[in-house]
This record gives sequence, C-alpha cells and structure tokens, in this order.
Amino acid sequence: MKKLFALVLVLALALMACVASAQEGKVYFLNFKPEADEAWQALAATYTANTGVEVKVVTAASGTYSETLTAEMGKGDAAPTLFQCGNKAGLDTWGEYCLDLTGTDFYNEMTTDEFNLFGENGEALCAGYCYEAFGIIVNKDLLAQAGYDISGITDFASLKAVAEDIHARRDELGFDAFTSSGMDGSSSWRFSGHLANMPLYYEFRDDGVTEQPATITGAYLDAFKNIWDLYINNASTEPSQLSTATGDQAAAEFGEGKAAFYQNGTWEYANLTGNFGIPAENLAMIPIYCGVEGEDKAGLCCGTENCWAVNVKASEADQQATLDFLYWVVTSDEGTTMMAEQFGPIPFKAAKASDNVFFNDANAYIAQGNYVVSWAFNYTPNVDAWRAGVVAAMTQYSAGGSWDDVVSAFVDGWAVQYNNQ
Amino acid sequence: MKRERLANGILTAVFIPLCILYMMPVIIVLYNSFKPNALINTDTFALPTAQTFTGMRNYVEGITFGNYPFLNSAMNSLQITVVSTLLLLLCTSMAAWYMSRVNDLFSRIVYYLCIFSMVVPFQMVMYTLPQTAMRLRLNTPHTIPVIYMGFGAGLAVFMFVGFVKGIPLEIEEAAAIDGCNPVRTYFSVVLPMLKPIYISVGVLEIMWIWNDYLLPYLVLDKTLYRTIPIHIQYLQGSYGHVDLGAVMALIMLSITPVILFYLFCQQYIISGVAAGAVKG
Amino acid sequence: MRKKKTRPVHAGLNSQLIRRSMQRWFPLFLLPTFIAFCIGFLWPFLQGIYLSFFQFKTLDNMNFAGLQNYLKAFGDASFVSAFWQTAKVAVVSIILINLFAFAVAYALTRGIRGANLFRSVFFMPNLIGGIVLGYIWNTIFAGVLRGYNTALALNSTLGFWGLIIVLCWQQVGYMMIIYIAGLQSVSEDMIEAARIDGANSWHVLRHITLPTVMPSITICTFLTLTNSFKLFDQNLVLTNGAPMVFDAGQQIYTTEMLALNIYRTFTMNWKWQGVGQAKAVMFFILVAGISLFQLSATRSREVQQ
Repeated sequence: MKKLFALVLVLALALMACVASAQEGKVYFLNFKPEADEAWQALAATYTANTGVEVKVVTAASGTYSETLTAEMGKGDAAPTLFQCGNKAGLDTWGEYCLDLTGTDFYNEMTTDEFNLFGENGEALCAGYCYEAFGIIVNKDLLAQAGYDISGITDFASLKAVAEDIHARRDELGFDAFTSSGMDGSSSWRFSGHLANMPLYYEFRDDGVTEQPATITGAYLDAFKNIWDLYINNASTEPSQLSTATGDQAAAEFGEGKAAFYQNGTWEYANLTGNFGIPAENLAMIPIYCGVEGEDKAGLCCGTENCWAVNVKASEADQQATLDFLYWVVTSDEGTTMMAEQFGPIPFKAAKASDNVFFNDANAYIAQGNYVVSWAFNYTPNVDAWRAGVVAAMTQYSAGGSWDDVVSAFVDGWAVQYNNQ
Repeated sequence: MKRERLANGILTAVFIPLCILYMMPVIIVLYNSFKPNALINTDTFALPTAQTFTGMRNYVEGITFGNYPFLNSAMNSLQITVVSTLLLLLCTSMAAWYMSRVNDLFSRIVYYLCIFSMVVPFQMVMYTLPQTAMRLRLNTPHTIPVIYMGFGAGLAVFMFVGFVKGIPLEIEEAAAIDGCNPVRTYFSVVLPMLKPIYISVGVLEIMWIWNDYLLPYLVLDKTLYRTIPIHIQYLQGSYGHVDLGAVMALIMLSITPVILFYLFCQQYIISGVAAGAVKG
Repeated sequence: MRKKKTRPVHAGLNSQLIRRSMQRWFPLFLLPTFIAFCIGFLWPFLQGIYLSFFQFKTLDNMNFAGLQNYLKAFGDASFVSAFWQTAKVAVVSIILINLFAFAVAYALTRGIRGANLFRSVFFMPNLIGGIVLGYIWNTIFAGVLRGYNTALALNSTLGFWGLIIVLCWQQVGYMMIIYIAGLQSVSEDMIEAARIDGANSWHVLRHITLPTVMPSITICTFLTLTNSFKLFDQNLVLTNGAPMVFDAGQQIYTTEMLALNIYRTFTMNWKWQGVGQAKAVMFFILVAGISLFQLSATRSREVQQ
C-alpha cells in the first residue's frame, strides 16, 4: 500500500513538474565540475520533487567546458540558464550574457564579494560560490610509518629528502612516495592547470602582473621541473607510462594507502574520506614546494574559478526560475548540506560548517602569516588549448623527451594562445 | 594442374594464419574483457589465468558505469539505425521512382542537388546542421531520422534512380491501364522489383548510421541521449575515471551485434557493398 | 558510372499517362524527401557558405567579416600542416590498401579452399565503426609500444604508421570485395587461350587480368582517396593530433588531418568558429574537386572502351 502511495505521489509530482515547467520557467545548469556531477543531479532531483520546477544539470567533460558552453549557448531558448564564468577571459567572452545579480535574493545571501567578477560599471556578473585550495595531500599515517612528520617538511629540500627516502624503501614500507602523475585527460589538469600555477604565480608576483599578460618569460620553470621530476621519479608508475595513467588510478593509489603524497585539492576530501574511508585525522594538505627562494613561508594555493552566471538572454521566466533555484541551493537544508560536502565553506549566510580538514589547513597557514599562493592560472589565454599543449609536452618529456618542449609549450604556447583568443 | 593444386594448397596454408592474425585485435579485446583493469594496461597480451579471470565483472561494471546507462545508448543506436534506415529507404525510393518517371524540371533539379550533396563532406555543415536540427527539435532519437534522411538522401536517391532506370516501363503501364493509382502501382508492382537495390542501399545506410559518431554527437541533445559510439568516446577520461576493463567489455558488447548481423546477412552485405561501390 | 541520361525510347504516349497521374501524388512521393533534404542538407549547406563570411558567437550574434576568415585560415600554419598530413596519409594508404586488397582478392579468386571463409574474415573489420575500431587498436598499440617505452601519441612517425595500419585493417576487406567482383568478370576463355599460346601466370596477370579490372582499380583508388580525406573518427581516437610542436606562431598537431583540424578550429573558441567554417568551405571545394576529377577520369576511360 505504501509503495502504491509512493508511486502515485511520484507520478503526481512528475505530472506537476510537466505542467509547471510549461509555465514557470526551467533551469538548465551547465556544470563545470565532473566530480560534483552526481551531487548536483541528486540536488536537482530533490528541487524538482519539492517545487515541480524542472532543473536540468549537464556536466561538461574535463577540459571541454568552454567548447561545450559555446555550443550550448548557441541553442537559443534551449541554452543554459546557469553557467560557469570563472575568470577574466570567460568574462570577456560571455560578459554580455551575464545577468547583473545585484539586489537579487540570491546575491543578498552572499557574505563576501571577494570571489565575484564585476562588469565595467560595477555590475555583479559572476558570483563566486565557493573557494578552493590545492596542495600536496599527505597521508600522515604512512608518513609516520616511514619515520617522518609533516612538521619536518618546510621547503623543497626537505620534501625531496623525504620523498626520495620513501621511494628508496618502497618495498620494505609497502608504499611509495607519490601517486602516479597521470597525463590522461582525467588527471592531467592537476599538472597543466594546478601545478603550472606555481611558476606562473611566482613570475607574476615578481613582475607585478594584474591583468592577462601577452607573453610570459618562464622564469620559474626550473622550479616547475624540480617538482615535476620529484613527482614522476618517486612514484610506482614508470614515467614513460604516464600518458595513459588516469585520475582514478592516482586516487586509488592514495586511497588504498599505496602512496603517501597526492597532489590535489579540497574537493577531493569527500572522495578520500567517503569512498576510500581514510580517517580525517590522517589527512593533511601541505604547500607545493618547488625550490623557490623564501617558500618556507608559502601557504596553500587558494582561489576559485567557480563562479555562477545567469544567462540574461534566457526568458524572464527561466531567469527567475534560475535565481529561485540558486536561492534555494544556498539557503535550504539540502542545498547547504550538499554545498558543504562538495565545496567546503561557501560564502553564504546560511552556509553549513564543513568538516573538511583541508580548509582548516589552508586557514592555519594563513593564520601563521604565510602568503597565499593565488590562482595565477586564471590569466591563462585560451585555457583548454594552452593546457593541451602543456600536457602534450610534459607527456613527451616524461617519456624521455626534452624539457625544452615543456618550456616552449609554456612560453610560446602562451603567446600563440594569446593571439588566438 | 597438379602444380596449381599444390600452389593453392600452399595459399590456403598461408591464409589460415593470416586470417587468425587479422582477427587478433578483436580476439585480444575479447580476452582482455575478462581481465582486471590494472592488468590490461600493464600486461595487455597475456591471457587471463585462473587467478586473474574476472568473469563477468567488467561487463557488469561497464553496463552500470557512469550516469548514463549503456543499455540506453544501445537502444538509442538501435532505434536511430532502424527507423532512419526504414524511413530513408521508403521515402527516397519513392522519390527516386517519381523523379525518373516524371522527370520534369523540378525533379531534375532535386536529382542533381542530390548528386551534388554526395561530394559535400560533413564538416561543411558541422556547425549549421546541429543548429537547424536544434531549432526544429530534431535533436532527439525519435526525430533525428529526418536529419539522416536529409543528409543521406544523396547516395540513396542516386542508387535508386540508377536501378529504376533499368526497370521496363511496360509493367507499370499495364498497371496504370488496369486502373491502379500510382500509390498502388508503387507498392504492388514497383516495390517488389526494387528488392535487390533495397538491400544494397539498406546495408550501406545501416553500416553508416550505426557507426556514425560526429553527426549524432553534434546533433543529438547529448545531455539526454547518447549512441554507442558517443558512449564509448565518453568513457575516455571524461569523468576522471577510466576503467579499461569496462571499456573492453563495452567494446565487445557493441561489436557483437554487428558481427551477428554480419554472420546472418553476409551475402547481402557483400553484394550490397559491391553494388554500391561500383555505382558510387 | 551513371550519366548518359538518354530517355528510354519507349517513353511515349503511355508513360505520359503514368506521368500525369503521378504528378498529382507529388506531395506523397517527392515532397517528404525534398523537405528532409532541405533540412538535413541544403539549408545548412547554404547557411554554412554564408556564415564563412561572418564572425559569430551564436547564430543570433554575428558580425560581417568579409574575407577575414579565409585569410586567417590560409595564414594558419596548423591548417597547412593538416593538409600535408592528409595528403601523406592519402598517398600511402592508397598504395598499401590497394596492393593488399588486390593481392588478397587475386589469391581468393583462384579457387582455393576456404576462400569464402577468408573473404568473410577480411571483410569483418569494415562493419566496426571508426571510434570503436580506434579503441581496439589503441589497446594493441599501447600494449606493444609499452615494451619500447613509448606510445603512439608521443612520436609523429609512430602516429602516422599507426593510423595507416588501422586504415589498412579496416579498408582492405572492402576494396577486396570490389576487386573480387572485378576479377570474376575476367574471361576464363581468354586466359585459357593465352595459356595455350604459352603465356605464364605473370603475362596473364599483366595483359589480361589487370586491364579487365582497371575499372575496379579506379574505383578503389578514388574510394581510398576520399576516405582518407574525410577521415575523422580514427584520427580523433588514435592520437587526437599529438604530438604537438610550435611553428610559425601556431600550435601544430603533427598527426592531425584536415577534418580534425576543422573540428578543432570550431571548438577552439568562439572567435575561431568563422575561421572553422571558412576552412570547411575550402575543404568542401577540395573534396568536390577530387570527385569531379574522378568523374572525368572514369568517363574518359568509358569512352576509350
């Protein structure tokens, strides 16, 4: 009887959804983060069940967001109503499609505008809905087994000493230093995007860069080589085999306790503690040290490229439906719970506390007076194409090619893509 | 003669290993689909052993993996291929018959446009076709047959016209004198005679549509619908996850129907290909 | 080939009768195909030519650009490189595929045992689509090359030959079928007569078999040519253009062919969509040119016969 009742209820809701969506506008969210896809789908279904408003969530494959967005935006009234516009380059392209969020209920829920992007006249075009940090995730338990502690790792030299020692004793210890640095599309963004942030950040810091430069010098690429060599030479996967190694492979190596270090970000927390069941107290995130002067005062890489924009060219009803949905996401119990689980602390009044230890680490570094390594890669021109070039060169280098190709992919690639964009 | 028989014997002996070699890629994928994920990447050519044999695990994994079930993709592929082919065969054969019998200015223009469309590569309409399809809501598996019919009409019309020209008029004339209207004439007189060319065109269209990747990838609302080639392509790293075992299993699942189809309809397929190629 | 559109001699009064009554049924017979043809081909094609003169973000958001897109396409080193890569693949695959296909067809038409089975095996890869085929071979290549510490995407020579192997595997069977059909029309009597005159196998092949299968050779040559020019799926799956170099101010994917280059241009960013469309128009002219050349080649040969 219960089942029958549930069935009838579901049918009624579905019917309502059909009727409602015809009049009340609908939401189409083109999501940027594959790892949050499931959570978004579930949340959208909940919202639809509660309100009858149709919410479609679509996730672009890694490294294809701008391509997918361009294609989907061409679809007239079937275009996304909610999309990601996370950096200046995105704003240049899609700014005219962004609704000014100022004064909307959703926008009024925000606690800071630090992560938002503004138009020329101060319109709030993109709302940064979370911030993230990345670095080297450490399994403290494994590190202790090897006789070390994270307090002893304060710069590149100490990181290198620990990693090389663990790698040398891998058979005895039963685990290796680093997870595989896969160059498959599911993993390569960790390096072409996030690791590449290190040389970019230091170069831009020295040169006082505040807007997208037409060229870069690659002054810190030696540091980049240091850390990359350390990653690939102190892992169980042969460097030449990286071209097909996947993100899953690395996550599994770390999750199953086969490696002590794993470069990734705060977003990986749910996966590591949930799917792999690593106790939170065993996890820590340390800065990426790569042999730059004064980096013992470095903190984690904090920033965001996760900004929501509402499509101003969508119908009024759809825009309103989208704003209502956003408001619900950042105020309702279901929404804030999901956001806290997936994105950690979010800059909204009703945000739930997050138990994500990586954010605590990020804040601890700041509290100690360390400098934040900001997300310099948000300046990357034609980002997917530039990263593809860097990935290709790094793959080649790892398989025995020349480092010059990597330098060229960085420096020449930047100039080429600056002209292409 | 004796020498010839010997030579032929040697040829047969050469061809047996050659054929096995030719089948090797499929065989390797087949036995890899029973191996654990990790071993496929590290030890591709080793046969599964008693320890490493995973049974149907990869198949279960492959079918259930991701947020888009493989069976949906397979059903979409089947539906699109069957409906598009049937629609295309019926409509273009009728059009071809009309064109060659009526042969007025309009028919001739359409005919030459069809011929022309055969030399236009898909890239030419890569951007505009999906836009048109989307605006006309032809971006679902139920409506995409219209697109296939339009884009595939060229070759089909060409082959049908070539065949219809060889059919003697007398039979149709007799039917007309007996009072058959053109519709009845078509279905009771012309259609049965078109059987061989129906098979040739059908085979070519099925092979094209079933295996087509870029057109459905761009035209279909791929957030809601996938076909088998799109599904397989999506497995590559798109969700931070590549389970090679599952990929092998899905490859086997997607080529098995093709091979079965081939085994049952081999003679039609081969004669269809020969006819189509010589004409095209 | 078609053409020679002489009307049947008996297309006289009676067929006029058929014609009249048929014309009334125009909406049923011709209209559906015509409408679908307009939607699926004609309109997108014309719109494509039109768009190649615009810079556009979406179809509702475009600016006239004159010949800008064409100039940009010509100035794009990656487009030029893709053209030469395509030409290289075309030449090598034409030679290898036709050689293998002819050899197999020749052997299989000598009445050897198991010929039907062999034929089936060789044709089988044809039914597998480019994407799936690419993944099958990716697995094999990765497995082999791992032993040499390299991969298909790391070396443009390997990438090139990898693609050629896949193309041969896929197309030899198809061309073989056409050659078999051609070889079966070689007259037994003529061979018999030549044998009696003392001709050896080579002479028979050279002077009787080859001239008779000449039409098949032409067809297969052009089929492999157009197949190579339109190639996309296998190129995408096998190397996706990698490895990449920087040259002439552009990022060049060394194993990228024309169709993939156009695709990549379309998806690079919105400013390049117009350039992609301009490249597509040039690509179309190229492919159409090849087809016209094919038509005139087959025609002149028909005249000779």
